[in-house]
Amino acid sequence: MRLQSSAQPVSLLVLIVAQSLCAAFFLWDVAADGLSLGLLAFATSHFVIELLAVLALIAGVVFETRFLMDLLRRKAHLEEQLGLAAGAFHDIVEARFDGWSLTPSERDVAHFTLKGFGIAEIAELRGSAEGTVKAHLNAIYRKAGVTGRGAFVGLFIEDLMSTPLRPPEVAA
Amino acid sequence: MTQHKIWDPFVRIFHWTLVVGFAANALFVDDDSKLHEWLGFAIVGLIAARLVWGLIGPRFARFSSFWPTPASVIGQLSDIATGRKRLHLGHTPLGALMIFNLLGTILLIGLTGWMMTTNAYWGVEWVEETHEALVTWAEISIVLHVLAVIWESRRTGVNLPRAMVTGIKTLPDGARTDP
Repeated sequence: MRLQSSAQPVSLLVLIVAQSLCAAFFLWDVAADGLSLGLLAFATSHFVIELLAVLALIAGVVFETRFLMDLLRRKAHLEEQLGLAAGAFHDIVEARFDGWSLTPSERDVAHFTLKGFGIAEIAELRGSAEGTVKAHLNAIYRKAGVTGRGAFVGLFIEDLMSTPLRPPEVAA
Repeated sequence: MTQHKIWDPFVRIFHWTLVVGFAANALFVDDDSKLHEWLGFAIVGLIAARLVWGLIGPRFARFSSFWPTPASVIGQLSDIATGRKRLHLGHTPLGALMIFNLLGTILLIGLTGWMMTTNAYWGVEWVEETHEALVTWAEISIVLHVLAVIWESRRTGVNLPRAMVTGIKTLPDGARTDP
């Protein structure tokens, strides 16, 4: 089942590629100016403004790339279960994962664990060895400050009971 | 570990001949020499042969087997974002984009290079400038291509450069494949 068409990530991807090309071109331009002027370049307002503009553009590309990766992770996890409640719960889960600074792979394993998959199943789903999944799980439990799967899932049950699951009404 | 025969001899010879030919013309051979022209024609001929091979060749050489779609590109990016390993036996969607980019760019380099030898376009400035800009674009693309191959080899645990030499991909145990 697909949550939505993939139009949103695709247009974001095209934008990232286009802006990367622009950034590369202007960076080249600024570098050429800098090399020909030497240290004096930093005394000319034109050069400094150009440099700041290029750096802002690069920062934008980095930010968009991170946003795209977050978006794709979210889609990957939500595609298996439709619904507004799933989306709201997903946000709670993501906020927890952010707090523990889980890596992308650890996040994925943690999601599957919450859904009740075993180590062998997760390894199969992710195309990795069972030992790798065990290592991810150990890191997840350590970062979450729990001793095992039961306590880990319990953390989220607690959240579920104290947080209203319905997001603001959206016209369907 | 499982081994799969993926790249046929033509694809491998094409790849490495193109590497040698492009590097020679872009970096070593004098731009105004006859050798530069002949190498250029040889490279265009090589790509023409690859285009035909992409229609009639074996499974993994065919364009239809690795034609990239928006959905498949997003699928590969999602695998990267979630750290999942879904291996592609043939070219990956992002890899395929780079292949078509390089084939197209190098063909255009050949076209503008040939135009410079004709009476109609000899000494025309925009032709020469386009030729040089395309070469710069190809060089940037090649650097990205090499970095991406190293990155994908590390991410998926499949030694891609070796596969392009021997034709055989060695996949790690338990790997999910998506041909």
